[in-house]
Amino acid sequence: MIVWAALVAGIVSVFFAAVMLMHRSLYVSAVSLLVVLLQTAVLFLLCGSSLLGLLQLMIYAGAVMVLVVVTIMAAGSEGERFSDFSFPRPLACLGLIAAVAETAFILAHGTAPAAVAVDPALQSQLGAVLFKPYALATEAVTLLMFLAALAIVPEKAAA
Amino acid sequence: MNLTVVVWATTGTLFFFGLAIVVLRRQLLAMLLGLELMLAAVNVSLVHHAGLFNDAEALAVVALVIAVAAAEAVVGLSLILRVRRSGRGADSAVLTELQG
Repeated sequence: MIVWAALVAGIVSVFFAAVMLMHRSLYVSAVSLLVVLLQTAVLFLLCGSSLLGLLQLMIYAGAVMVLVVVTIMAAGSEGERFSDFSFPRPLACLGLIAAVAETAFILAHGTAPAAVAVDPALQSQLGAVLFKPYALATEAVTLLMFLAALAIVPEKAAA
Repeated sequence: MNLTVVVWATTGTLFFFGLAIVVLRRQLLAMLLGLELMLAAVNVSLVHHAGLFNDAEALAVVALVIAVAAAEAVVGLSLILRVRRSGRGADSAVLTELQG
């Protein structure tokens, strides 16, 4: 049953990735990427990594995609690719049905369902790995995010 | 059919579509979305690997990749917005020179 749920998530994500490639409108591409990221979060959950699924939802599907959509809106109104904010209704229905079905499946299982026998201590080891053997990489990524925040400050504000 | 087959098929197809978007589409924003798609595909395979082999290091790499992708999206989007507001359009073909 869990494998079939993973199959549904995979098919829906591949379909919306194809929409991203084929559709002219950047808004449709961005919303399709949002659906793909939601489906990959479901795959994370089915692979036994609920923490990273949550991170995927919060950072990718939440923050980054909002930023992308706002950028498309702020980029100007000239040109069809930037000004078309209509999303095809059949695609919206398909994404919604997939999301509702997967949520119902997850709720029906009570806890996070996993298709593989994951060691319960695995996710608690994540923090230990990040701050012991990977501490330098974690610090480097933190510094990178800080520099990214500085890099987008406008020149006048920086002066 | 098992989960490994499903995950590898999904990962490979998503990565292929992301690569095709980066190569075939000319808008900078669409290319950035294709990059994000490729990173998401790689993350799925890493998480599956972590679950199969109880490898916490793979999960750590996924967490780092998510953070780097967020930083990359912020910088990329601000650059795209700046290029577009400078009047040079949003196609990759017009950006042929770097200026300090």
